[in-house]
Amino acid sequence: MIQGPTQPTESISPPLPAIARGRGLKGVQIRQIKSFTRAMLFLAPSLAIFITFVFIPLVRTFWLSSYLTNPLGKPTVFTGLGQYQRMFSTPELGNSLLRSVLFVLETVPATLLLALILAVLANQRLKGISIFRVVFSITIAVSSATASLIFMYLYHPSIGSLNYFIELLGGTAVPWLTSDKTALTAISMTTVWLQLGLNTVILLAAMQGIPEELYESAMIDGANGWNRFWGITLPFLSSTFFFLVVVDMLAAFQTFTPIQIMTLGGPADSTNLLVYSIYRQFYFNGNYGLAAAQSIVLFIIMLLLTIFQFVFVERKVFYE
Amino acid sequence: MNHSVSPNRMWLNIVMYALLILSGVAVLYPIWTAINISMLTDQQIAAFPPHLAPTSLYLQNFIHALQQAPLGRYLLNSTIQSSLVMLGQLFTASLAAYAFTFIDFKWKNVFFLVFLATMMIPWEATIIPNYLLIKKLNWTDTFQGLAVPFMATGFGTFLLRQFFRTIPRELHDAAVMDGASDLYFLSSIVLPLARPALGTLAVYSFLQTYNQYLWPLLITNSPDMRTVQIGIALLQDEERFMFNTVMAGVVIILIPTFILFIFSNRQLIRGLTAGAVKG
Amino acid sequence: MRKPFYVVLVSLVVLSMLLAACGGAAPTTAVTQPTTPPSAGGAQPTTAPTAAPAAAEATATVKAAVPTAVPTATIAPPKSERATKIEFWHSMAGDIGGKAIPQMANDFNTSQDKCYVTPIYQGSYDDSLNKLKAGLQSNQTPAIVQVYDIGTRLLVDLGVATPVQNYIDKEKYDISDLEGNVLSYYTVDNKLYSMPFNTSTPILYYNKDMFKAAGLDPEKPPRTFDEFAADAAKLTQKDASGKTTVYGAAFAIYGWFFEQFLAVSGGMYVDNNNGRDGFATKATFNGPEGLNIFQWWQKMVNDGVMANYGRKTVDTRNAFLAGQTAMFIDSTAVLRGMMDSTKGKMDIGTAFLPRPTEDAYSKWGTIIGGGSLWIVNNRPTAEQDCAWEFIRFQSSPEEQAYWWTMSGYFPIRKSAYDTTVGKDWSAKYPQYTTAIDQLHQTPVNRVTQGALIGVFPSARATIETGIEEILSGKSTPHFPLDNAAQTVTQAIQDYNASMGLK
Repeated sequence: MIQGPTQPTESISPPLPAIARGRGLKGVQIRQIKSFTRAMLFLAPSLAIFITFVFIPLVRTFWLSSYLTNPLGKPTVFTGLGQYQRMFSTPELGNSLLRSVLFVLETVPATLLLALILAVLANQRLKGISIFRVVFSITIAVSSATASLIFMYLYHPSIGSLNYFIELLGGTAVPWLTSDKTALTAISMTTVWLQLGLNTVILLAAMQGIPEELYESAMIDGANGWNRFWGITLPFLSSTFFFLVVVDMLAAFQTFTPIQIMTLGGPADSTNLLVYSIYRQFYFNGNYGLAAAQSIVLFIIMLLLTIFQFVFVERKVFYE
Repeated sequence: MNHSVSPNRMWLNIVMYALLILSGVAVLYPIWTAINISMLTDQQIAAFPPHLAPTSLYLQNFIHALQQAPLGRYLLNSTIQSSLVMLGQLFTASLAAYAFTFIDFKWKNVFFLVFLATMMIPWEATIIPNYLLIKKLNWTDTFQGLAVPFMATGFGTFLLRQFFRTIPRELHDAAVMDGASDLYFLSSIVLPLARPALGTLAVYSFLQTYNQYLWPLLITNSPDMRTVQIGIALLQDEERFMFNTVMAGVVIILIPTFILFIFSNRQLIRGLTAGAVKG
Repeated sequence: MRKPFYVVLVSLVVLSMLLAACGGAAPTTAVTQPTTPPSAGGAQPTTAPTAAPAAAEATATVKAAVPTAVPTATIAPPKSERATKIEFWHSMAGDIGGKAIPQMANDFNTSQDKCYVTPIYQGSYDDSLNKLKAGLQSNQTPAIVQVYDIGTRLLVDLGVATPVQNYIDKEKYDISDLEGNVLSYYTVDNKLYSMPFNTSTPILYYNKDMFKAAGLDPEKPPRTFDEFAADAAKLTQKDASGKTTVYGAAFAIYGWFFEQFLAVSGGMYVDNNNGRDGFATKATFNGPEGLNIFQWWQKMVNDGVMANYGRKTVDTRNAFLAGQTAMFIDSTAVLRGMMDSTKGKMDIGTAFLPRPTEDAYSKWGTIIGGGSLWIVNNRPTAEQDCAWEFIRFQSSPEEQAYWWTMSGYFPIRKSAYDTTVGKDWSAKYPQYTTAIDQLHQTPVNRVTQGALIGVFPSARATIETGIEEILSGKSTPHFPLDNAAQTVTQAIQDYNASMGLK
């Protein structure tokens, strides 16, 4: 029925004549099977990797979460839902969730706003603007490990230059990484700086893609710069914003390196974001079972978030 | 737009330049800090108020950093790993996105959701089973071990699908009528049109991989296979942590990516223009 | 339009290849001036064991200048093809891991042709331990692994090690010259499981100039908690606006320091005599001794005489070097680096770790910290034998003297102090005598042997979180300390259950 898998691309045209000849249900079925096969061939490379490296491991993680594991990660004592019970009865999970949400709130809007400002500035037609375009997007070339090391110095309680400037301007020194009140903000600032480059470049690119005629006709209509920005630029950027919100949120949720390098989740668990807490549980505490249970919670939360995003936000942005 | 320079316009330009320079300094300050610290002596970095510029071209820290870790080799490894992942993702994601856009098949939405779900599964949740698998395959200390697990991407597929959807369906139908195969249509029409999106995905996947920390640490043993991020960690001596040596390492790692970035920036932006992520 | 990306990609590859070549070539810079390593400090390698390998290093680095060669190849190739090759995983970054350990390996490799050891840096102690755990499941293990002190119980329980005691007994190897206090830590169930490698204890470092300026006797550093707090108050300086310019003292928030204060106070960390007379089943560090430490620490911070620079000890150290704090606590291993970077600028004094009372000095003392070398028992016997050969080699007086002067860790062998290298070093760094005295004056008992628990790393992190909580002013010392004890007890019980220990 289906031609050899070695020539998958040759099997495309037959379905159409099949319907044309009006073979009825059977033809439709064949067509369905054929297009399904065709699609599967296209999806196969991705699916193979997802199944091997994402789904099977995830199932194994589920399984692990019902065990007490020894320090080698071998499940030794079956606990059923015991890990979940413990997870919900201790404050750690709640704290990590709260911290993760705070972190997203501290990074994503700030990144987008600053990137928008930089992109608007870099979109001016001025002499030498290309230098600024390079400068504003330069953090693309900086990795999170190097950024963390640099900021670790800037925040340094005794030799860091950030506090020096603050005091120079008449402020009081901030205990950036050593106080549970400021550490998350310090990590956020690093992340914002790091993400700024990519966000600015993408926004700038999108801005430059806005047809010139739109602005010209708006100017004829007497719209001032502000009006043009609100009336043309921003609406035109909405889909880009949606894209960046997804990218930045994912990055924020998966933030690991700055925490590992700068705070190790402290002080007093104030930067112990959920993903970092999972890492600590299995990698450091050897508590694979509990880490697995936490991962499942994270998985469910992110899944719900995504579904929400796609059902509401995507529809709004793309079909408005 | 050709404006004669009115006094108003001139003032506006001055304000703009001031803002541009101010923002530029703010963005560059951390990088300047790394360069500055990398050229200070042990005594100088401990001084307060801090030195805001190096007093001489002091290069001892660079020698020290290079002695401590083969940073060049790490850079090469990172580049190879990131390139492999990038190419792999471009390949798998364009195929998948094509199917999701141009082929009607049963359970399409289910499959699409499966792809999206992969974005939401934290990597940390699967790292232990994955690690054991790589061991079993004997892929430790290999580039395939570093790259293959990341060669498919839900995010990239989503991104490309968004872009492919802007390509008129009629184009596809017409091509099919003309007897063009899917692969032909994909490679000769869709991909060239989708270049900006492919470029975005390429940059994104490259950077994501380049930034990896935990996975390379887990699956590489030999110094030959270590990546840059681990290399930087190597400079953090727990007993005698010196910011100047670490910053020298940071600068060494930043130089090649910066040079490339500055050279390719124009093309990068151009590549992203025309609605990089129009959706 | 697509071209730019190829250009970027290709040039990236080419550039990093070039850089790889540079990285490979870079060590040659060192070869041209092998006698001036940036911070090698005093004791120039003048004795035989170090001089010869320096030449070996030179030839090896010349080879490494070939672009494709591994840049870290400072290890000479094996003398004989038939030599048993073993891996040595360690966690020493910086000069110690980059120079001292390869040097020792070279010394060993050139000293005989049966065994050939390759040291591999495996990241931090935690990283290395995790790699070992994973490696055990797939038989990818080294013959020798350096594990931190607090991993001792875990490695014993996992049954992955061949105790060095087996070799000691077999060869009737004389251990009377080795430091008793050090051996006692790694002795479990009357067996020496691993060979101490890098050993340190915490001491008090203080700025003598500031002592003078504050009217304190720079030769009489504080000995008790109360004296310490009083001196810290005197040393604290404020400017006209009331801003503190110099803090009297600073402690890094490091669980190790808490353990040490607990030990000098006579407190046990866990039950069953610190887990040394039976498996630990619960945490006991929240007794009166522990509470006293928390209160003392919190009060000094609340009074504004002690600064908090976070968990990283290096940050506190840097604050001291920058003249922002007058006293701090750190490992003896950092002494040389401190002295070298303040040469001629700051007069640094060292003293024993403060105790709650004067009579505590005779009863208890500090616990040794650091790491030890373990022989992994799933390697072939020939490899394990070579591992022992290397371990025995590195504990020789000359190698220990070299190790001591290069790293600042204690030599584990008393006679290392009598070598030329050792004597020169002692003369150059008289402050180190404090460390040696503190080590030698510590009586060996269950308190000073230190606790044995399988979940020590997480226990330590739990304590650190507890300290952060009291310092942030959130609560009285009771709650964080009791909470920490509860968490650690739970972890110990989980561990015991999962390991089938009853």
